[in-house]
Amino acid sequence: MIKRIFLNFKRYTFLMSQMVSRDFKVKYKRSVLGILWSLLFPLLQMSVMALVFSQMFKFRMEGVNYLVYLMSGLIIFNYFSEASNSAMTSLVTNFPLMKKIYMPKYIFPLSKCIFATINFLLTLIPFLLIILFSGDKNTHCIINMYYIFLPFAYLCVFLFSIGVGFILSTISVFLRDIFYIYGIILTMWQYFTPTFYDISMLTPELQKLFYLNPLYHYITFTRTIILYNKMPDLSSWLWCGGTAIITLIIGCIVFKLKQDKFIYYA
Amino acid sequence: MITVNNVSMKFDLGIERDNSFKQVFINLLSFKKKNKDYFWALKDISFHIKKGEVVGLIGSNGAGKSTLLKTISGVMKPTKGSIQVNGIISPMIELGAGFDLELTARENIYLNGAVLGYSKKFLEEKFDEIVEFSELKDFLDVPVKNFSSGMTAKLAFSIATIVNPEVLIVDEILSVGDIKFQEKSKNKMLEMIKGGTTVLYVSHSLTSIEELCDKVIWLEHGQIVEMGDTKEICKKYYDKQMN
Repeated sequence: MIKRIFLNFKRYTFLMSQMVSRDFKVKYKRSVLGILWSLLFPLLQMSVMALVFSQMFKFRMEGVNYLVYLMSGLIIFNYFSEASNSAMTSLVTNFPLMKKIYMPKYIFPLSKCIFATINFLLTLIPFLLIILFSGDKNTHCIINMYYIFLPFAYLCVFLFSIGVGFILSTISVFLRDIFYIYGIILTMWQYFTPTFYDISMLTPELQKLFYLNPLYHYITFTRTIILYNKMPDLSSWLWCGGTAIITLIIGCIVFKLKQDKFIYYA
Repeated sequence: MITVNNVSMKFDLGIERDNSFKQVFINLLSFKKKNKDYFWALKDISFHIKKGEVVGLIGSNGAGKSTLLKTISGVMKPTKGSIQVNGIISPMIELGAGFDLELTARENIYLNGAVLGYSKKFLEEKFDEIVEFSELKDFLDVPVKNFSSGMTAKLAFSIATIVNPEVLIVDEILSVGDIKFQEKSKNKMLEMIKGGTTVLYVSHSLTSIEELCDKVIWLEHGQIVEMGDTKEICKKYYDKQMN
């Protein structure tokens, strides 16, 4: 079974790499700065938010490098939002292709998630610069040995996005309204993810609600390492890994159950 | 080589109507039973094609020819019955599947090749051959959206026929490009047939069917009317259509 899945994967890696590179070529066609935008965009977005929250609303977090705080949350949320959103629309936009030729359907949402991942990896470059060069002597971050565990959190975001992308793209085949509904959900999700604020500002009851938000766990995991130079505790590891794996499994099951029906709605 | 066992294909015509929120809501409110609106595109089709045979599919529009090709190539799963194909299929049902019009011809050769299941190594080896056959050497770095439809078709045909597949599924594609290219593409097909490729060929041109095929399957309303000798069935089909 596992060997079969692996062989299947291997057979279609070239196709997947072609689709990802197609996305890149199309995305940056006729833009002067091209791929530089992947680096600049998160920096500029962070600057705008930093300006709004620390200058206009006078947000203060004692002893914490606010720029790093902001950016560590933003890059994860943006990654998830881009991956899940583009995975959601991938089936419907590829209907013409699906009708003509056989290929495994999971390729479409998966290649979108991979594309978003490469974009995300690029945003780590400006993030690293912010870590190295921002903050005064109290709040300056240092690279520590726990950084080797950071990829775990990012891997969890990746798996979680694939799971959500599988579910959403399956729904989109039968119900196009999901495009609009998910747009609203994402907006809500953004406010319920502590990117620019800390949940200690909220009532304890409300704080408990955040435990149901997987993105909160992934972001907290990375902040524990980057901002507080600490090893994330066991429950943090379990929440991250657990939510990612469970969502991925549910996504795969939903997708597999329905994939043969997609073609009738194409 | 290809075995088709009692294949039936049912389409639910209600799908298009129930696809909006409003409709779902109305359906919930009106306690009417959903009227069952089905259409059988294929009914109990069985046949066997041996290795190296060239089989033509004929029938009027809507007879189920393309649906049958789609079930054989794996695009659709049949509602009932089973299909067995031994060997690599090259489905030329529609050319240029997966072309991205924004990309150049060069980029599309790789993308379309990947869609057709070719490996990277194979494409790199055959790249020049594809370009030469397509006669588009001077337009390699032009986005395909600026191509004429004939040029796009030539490029697509050249990519699709670069392999020597074991099973070739062809849906009316020999009328591609200008006269010179048509001749060239027909020769390419003949060459593949000589090389022992099993071919399933759909066309409305009885002349090309009679020229190429060893055997003909005549479909009508999703059922096989007759199958067997090319000349005999083509004649019957022609007489039926014309009166």
